[in-house]
Amino acid sequence: MRRITIDPITRLEGHGKIEIFLNDAGNVDRAFFQVPELRGFEKFCEGRAVEEMPRITSRICGVCPTAHHMAATKALDDLFQVEPTPPARKIRELMYSAFVIEDHMLHFFFLGAPDFIVGLDAPASQRNILGVISQVGLEIGKKIIEGRKRCREILKLIGGKPVCPVCGLPGGVSKALKEEDRAGIKESANYLIEVAQLALKLFDDRVIKNKKYLDLISGDVYKHRTYYMGLVDAQNRVNFYDGNVRVIDPDGEEFVKFNGHDYLSHIEEHVEPWSYTKFSSLKAIGWKGFIDGKESGVFRVAPLARLNVADGMATSLAQGAYEKMYDVLGSKPVHNTLAFHWARLIEMLYGAERMLELAEDPELTDPDVRNIPTEAPDEGIGVVEAPRGTLIHHYKTDERGILTDVNLIVATQNNAAAICMSVERAAKLLINHGEVSDRLLNMVEMAFRAYDPCLACATHSLPGKMPLEIKIRNKDGEVIKTLRR
Amino acid sequence: MKTLVLGIGNPILSDDGVGMRVAMELKSRLGKGYFEVKWASIEGLSTLDEIAGYERLILIDSIKTGKGKPGDVCKLSLRDLNFASHLSSSHGVDFATAVELGKRVGYKIPEIIEIYAIEVEDNTTFGECCTKKVETRLPEIVDEIMEVIKCA
Repeated sequence: MRRITIDPITRLEGHGKIEIFLNDAGNVDRAFFQVPELRGFEKFCEGRAVEEMPRITSRICGVCPTAHHMAATKALDDLFQVEPTPPARKIRELMYSAFVIEDHMLHFFFLGAPDFIVGLDAPASQRNILGVISQVGLEIGKKIIEGRKRCREILKLIGGKPVCPVCGLPGGVSKALKEEDRAGIKESANYLIEVAQLALKLFDDRVIKNKKYLDLISGDVYKHRTYYMGLVDAQNRVNFYDGNVRVIDPDGEEFVKFNGHDYLSHIEEHVEPWSYTKFSSLKAIGWKGFIDGKESGVFRVAPLARLNVADGMATSLAQGAYEKMYDVLGSKPVHNTLAFHWARLIEMLYGAERMLELAEDPELTDPDVRNIPTEAPDEGIGVVEAPRGTLIHHYKTDERGILTDVNLIVATQNNAAAICMSVERAAKLLINHGEVSDRLLNMVEMAFRAYDPCLACATHSLPGKMPLEIKIRNKDGEVIKTLRR
Repeated sequence: MKTLVLGIGNPILSDDGVGMRVAMELKSRLGKGYFEVKWASIEGLSTLDEIAGYERLILIDSIKTGKGKPGDVCKLSLRDLNFASHLSSSHGVDFATAVELGKRVGYKIPEIIEIYAIEVEDNTTFGECCTKKVETRLPEIVDEIMEVIKCA
């Protein structure tokens, strides 16, 4: 039996890639961000019973199983023309809130905080969650782990399993909540509100009150004037589970608001020869390349985009945090990419408050959790806000409900053009005269980390996360530096 | 010694699911008693929930180094997963970091952790079966791992 060691210089196949091309002067000419492709999903699905989709699609992303499960379940509602009962809808939203809270919390402490709390100048070996805990103390570390545990318990209670839920059915959910479940959910919601407030306070103390970081967030290196997209409720407030898709232009004016069912009239996909990823853009404007501004169809999704498209938050504490962010950053929409981290924490607080509202709703434990479908299936579209942005599932079936066509537009695809632009802009502004330090490359990585793109995360192969490779090439295309993380 | 055999993988991503396949086969061979055998599509922190409380962990997972032949089994220790310190690039949490974090916040982590990584050919194409190269070697992979875990 062979023994191997996996370290940063071990080349594992299937990895994210940033390629930076320098010109004669040693400045950045172009930079590309590429992610590996998972193949054959549509073919895998065709010929299967459409009711399997909530369970199949929950396995196509390692970090967003609940988002896919929910988008698939909503697509089934649409396909079978059946509305979930009000209690079922509340149970779904409760589960979804727990999922978003956990995801946002982990993203901040595991990915955002290392740059800001451990620090840009700290060695790479310390810029991780263990370094964060060393800085903020073990007690906060324990709170994060406890918060995650509580979210997982709610996911398991409703979804049947802590990951890859199995509860979603057309017209409802498979199981009602019991009255005795309520107290625990309420207690967890209150706990998670506290953790969200703690995270926001940390962000305020360590980032916003630190001029160096505030300048970085509000400066030009990480900034793009783009359109934004996200789901809003009837009062144009942020909603993760349901609503209409609202798009605003770079000046903050509503560009369009549409029912998710009509997504094909508003979103188009562009293909580039150097990337497997399809790049979404606004159909009414069209693909004009990797450029920002009002004339470009590039739009952004995910936490900052959701806050930008909304008129406010639906809960009081989150509304206060929302107002503070726009007050400090001075305008709306905020175009600064690093503000995604801030928006993420505001959404975490909203999710926890919404969880508490649902936990206190008398209807939550009503046993009426299913409307039985009676219509023949045909075509269905489901839209949710995944933690990483607007997620669309679109299925077509024959009259027996056997899948004939599947189309998914995932959040990372919606942000793909902006991610590439952000990486290139940061590289161009940070790398000069051929000087490429690890610190500068980390700052280039920060441009895409804010979006937390999905890097083929359905794979569970060792070491347990998708490796990232950064290559710097000189004017002749020769590799002059390689970093693997 | 309270021992867990845990197979990790995605059962709809071709060879990615090989860890689960091996664990299923081991379960039928080992029977009840000394070893508890489980399989799951989990990663990072979720792994902690499964392994906490055991004294010995035998983790079976896939790996794609591009070296060696599909179906080759490599043995690793936690120390061999030096990836841990370079977390800041994607949104997954690698196993070694999860274990270190678990220890710090009070999880009872197994004292002995053995990792068996199976070299795979394709873990990016959707499919419920392993590739032919891995599939045909499955019985000998199971034999090989069975041998070492029973001897240890």
